[in-house]
Amino acid sequence: MQTADTPLSTRPSGSGMPALLEVDNLTMEYHTEKGSVSAVNDVSFTIRAGESMGLVGESGCGKTSVAMALLRLQADNAEFKAGEIRLNGENLLALSEDEMRTHRWSDISMVFQGAMNAWNPVQRVGDQIREAMNLHIKPLPTAAEARARMEELFVLVGVDPKMLDRYPHEFSGGMRQRAIIAMALSCDPQLIIADEPTTALDVIVQDQILNQLKRIQRDLGMAMIYISHDIAVIAEVTDTIGVMYAGRIVELGATREVFQRPKHPYAYLLLNSAPSITGPRRKLAPLKGEPPNLLNPPTGCRFHPRCPFATEKCTVETPPLEDVGGGHLVECWHWDQVPETTERGVA
Amino acid sequence: MSDRVDLEEPQVGDFQLPRAPGGGPVIQEPLWRIRLRLFRKALRRNWALFAKNKIGLVGLGIIIAFALAALAHPILMDRVWDPAIYDPVRGYDAPRTEFLVVENGTVEDPTSEIDHATARLKTTPFVKVGETISIPSQPAPPSDSHWLGTDPLGRDILSQLMYSTRAAFLLGAIAAFVTVLIATTVGSIAAYFGGWIDSLLMRFADLVLLVPLIPILIVISSLFTLTLPLLGVLIGILSGFGGTAIVLKSQALSVSVKPFIDAARVAGGSNAHIIFRHIIPNVLPLSFLYMMFTVTEAIALEATLSFLGLMNVQMSWGLMINVAHSSGYLLSGTSYWWLLIPAGMAVTLLAAAFFLAGRAMDEVVNPRLRRR
Amino acid sequence: MTKFISKRLVQMVILFAIFLTILFFLLEAQPGDLSQQYIGNPDIPPEEKARLAARLGLDQPLWGRYAAYMRNFFTGNMGVALSQYPTSVSSLILAALPRTIVLFLSATVLAYYLGFVTGKVLAWRRGKATEYLLTLGGVGLYTIFYPWFALLMIWFFGFTLSGWLGFTVFPINKFIDAPEWTGSPFTTNAVFMRMILVATLALFVASVITLLARRRLELPQAIRVRNWSFLAAVIFPFVYFWISPMRKYAGDILHHTILPVGTLTLVAFAGIMLLTRSSMLETLREDYILTARAKGLSEKAIRDRHAARNALLPVVTSLVLALAFVIGGGIITETVFSWPGIGLLLFQAVLLEDIPLAMGTLSIIAVLALLGHLIADIIYVYLDPRIRYQ
Repeated sequence: MQTADTPLSTRPSGSGMPALLEVDNLTMEYHTEKGSVSAVNDVSFTIRAGESMGLVGESGCGKTSVAMALLRLQADNAEFKAGEIRLNGENLLALSEDEMRTHRWSDISMVFQGAMNAWNPVQRVGDQIREAMNLHIKPLPTAAEARARMEELFVLVGVDPKMLDRYPHEFSGGMRQRAIIAMALSCDPQLIIADEPTTALDVIVQDQILNQLKRIQRDLGMAMIYISHDIAVIAEVTDTIGVMYAGRIVELGATREVFQRPKHPYAYLLLNSAPSITGPRRKLAPLKGEPPNLLNPPTGCRFHPRCPFATEKCTVETPPLEDVGGGHLVECWHWDQVPETTERGVA
Repeated sequence: MSDRVDLEEPQVGDFQLPRAPGGGPVIQEPLWRIRLRLFRKALRRNWALFAKNKIGLVGLGIIIAFALAALAHPILMDRVWDPAIYDPVRGYDAPRTEFLVVENGTVEDPTSEIDHATARLKTTPFVKVGETISIPSQPAPPSDSHWLGTDPLGRDILSQLMYSTRAAFLLGAIAAFVTVLIATTVGSIAAYFGGWIDSLLMRFADLVLLVPLIPILIVISSLFTLTLPLLGVLIGILSGFGGTAIVLKSQALSVSVKPFIDAARVAGGSNAHIIFRHIIPNVLPLSFLYMMFTVTEAIALEATLSFLGLMNVQMSWGLMINVAHSSGYLLSGTSYWWLLIPAGMAVTLLAAAFFLAGRAMDEVVNPRLRRR
Repeated sequence: MTKFISKRLVQMVILFAIFLTILFFLLEAQPGDLSQQYIGNPDIPPEEKARLAARLGLDQPLWGRYAAYMRNFFTGNMGVALSQYPTSVSSLILAALPRTIVLFLSATVLAYYLGFVTGKVLAWRRGKATEYLLTLGGVGLYTIFYPWFALLMIWFFGFTLSGWLGFTVFPINKFIDAPEWTGSPFTTNAVFMRMILVATLALFVASVITLLARRRLELPQAIRVRNWSFLAAVIFPFVYFWISPMRKYAGDILHHTILPVGTLTLVAFAGIMLLTRSSMLETLREDYILTARAKGLSEKAIRDRHAARNALLPVVTSLVLALAFVIGGGIITETVFSWPGIGLLLFQAVLLEDIPLAMGTLSIIAVLALLGHLIADIIYVYLDPRIRYQ
């Protein structure tokens, strides 16, 4: 489905740049009344400065949990069981709450999925951006400086600077999302996490905002993590893609590789469950079944109950994350059985 | 239902439909039995949810304890207690109490540490300071024959307390029933018809909500003879047209937009049929919840009006406090604790119990409130 | 804003008219009629009876009596208090009104302030022992039988504590201590009105300063200015009366005010606290709280600047319910403490079967409730920009 002229990332994935964020074997559980939910299980990835990465998967697969963990905004009932999150070599999980606060927004900021409700309804939008700037920009900007910077940002994201004095309910959905992006940029972060940044918006606005995010990210040279359930959406704007399933990253590699030659059965089925406008007509193969209940996840490979290639071995042993060539990592015993892209739709 | 077979062995919990000799499916159980079973199942599930809330269980326990006391009173009066002594209204007893004779003047001195309930002035040449004398008196402190003592008119406090419990339940039941009857009907009608009927009823509810109950009831007590059932009906009307109607209307509104209402309408159901068979049954759980809160309110209101001496009742908790207060025993404090504490505690406990049970029910009825 | 208020005012007048109508028909529905009590005396000759009935308007048809009744109420003519002939109902109400307003207003404001602050902290300490204790105490205070609670307060603070400490901590009832006032150059109402005036002025000035600071200054400074100016506004009346010749008398009134206001506040406070707590817990689940945390704000800043401000909205909405609560409680307070306000007037009127006075006081209470409702609406509009700009 992917032809050569599709705007895919062509930049080599952050080669030569130092690692900005390294996530090592991150494991997190939620404690509920019914028991522990293994929401994030042994997740590792690296992002270099200026690189953009995508995390895809069905809802409930742990994407948002990972994003929240990066800012240490996990829910109260969450517990880190193992692993490290290193920002410029500093382990964020070892910091005190006060130290962590200084990193939030100034180093890692976030574009939330619920643009509608991410703004405090009783404060002016400008005041809410100003609040973040006052906290993180040293020396403290004067009122005029802060105003100038916010107007600049609003122009950058394409919102009338006059709207700074308005309340969130006076913004349209797309404008709110743009304003959130402006707020995310306000403290010059090194990394922006965009969690389903366009889900609630209509298709045209979605496309505009996504392209704008990509342009800004390239122009300002910051790293970005896109989170989405729609692999086609983020394939357009990312350098690398991680596919998550049931709290684990099951496939990780350059966007072009993963998108054109998915090696994990889940990624393969996920790609085949979405229609393509640009590619050839083909039969859709819907992904059957439900994501597993993470209260007691399946033994062995967590995908085996839904996997067409599953064997006895898959139910017992967890497969290793294996390099199938060129840094393309896949966690599957039978990755070599997954059909080539050209055969898609036939399987 | 007429062609059902095999009543002896209903297969409980089994929904397979056996074939009758003619070939059509036969439902083995009568409809009411299936309904009963579903009802029991829902009850068990809801009970499990309710039982999670420990405070709610405490509330329910207190309600049951009071109910038992109310039921026990007529039996005690019939079998154990002599009505001449223990009747809550007309009984009389003056148990003998030991009094200590003290120096003249010490009783008036507020700094002296003597116990007012058992001290007696030295007034006659026949008794000496330090002696104890035994004389009949009321209010008498708790004793074997009167576990909670007697009131200033020589009546048994425990008997009054238990007798008043029945009145409190009766009042609560009337008020709650009338409230739910009115509020459910008003709410459902407002939600189903909408338009001017809705705004008329809701503006009226606003008005009723705005005007505080106590002053209105005080004035009504001067115009009419305020008996317990009349008070219950009044509280029911005021609360049923007011706040409760507003809450139930919003619930009914969320029911009336459900697909099965449209289905009923398409199937040719009349307005009355849809309101009474489809909307009201779905609003009822929330109605029961507001019944609990109405009971709390009714108990407190009755006690307040009795306390002010505006109710036409023979005996109630509020009246007991009124008697103690108007006989001047308020500032006696702990010396005559049995005059003020049991009645006040009874009102507070029962009102709180209905409130707590109501809050626990709230979590069953409103899934939004449940802890995730 | 003015359009909103005027629209609301018109609504309130209509509501009040409906209320008066209901009262009128309630009066008509009572067994017998008003005249029986006063001209039912068999010794009065029939022609004299007819003359009296005509004077009282009882010979008019129903609608005529209704029209006269409504006209009189809206022109402020509420008739003569039969129990205190020939004093007019309006003059009795006017004398009692300031005391009642002070009782209701100070109890409401204090209960709201304390309840909101405590509820806010309570929600933040979810699951801690303080939360359980305060919630339990709150439910206890909320459901306690109020007259009984007031009696216990009098017994403890007015009597027992004074006995232990050897001086009057709080007087047990009444509005003033009469012997103290013999030979006083001031009347009770003059002193009391001066107290209200000074306190209101001080609070007004503080509000104006706060508003100006909000417009001109940055947020942290504005908050500091607000705190200081309100602190000064609370201290100023004390200083004023300390140096004024009214010192002794103002002190006496204040001394009598604390216990009733405190008792009413405590009970109203519990409801506000419980409501704020649940409202806060709802608000804490909102997305913008997550945004605030992601921005790196401190817990206190999130709580005060983001959560509390939004949690306040449903609490203000509930002012209507709280008003009914405070008014009902206020009447009991006045009765139990012999506080000579509207509530005591109503109670005495009912005991003496003085129907004109009872009707008059009840109507004034309804007016107070309506005004409170209006104020709650205005505060809500001020707090919620979504409504303000509609």
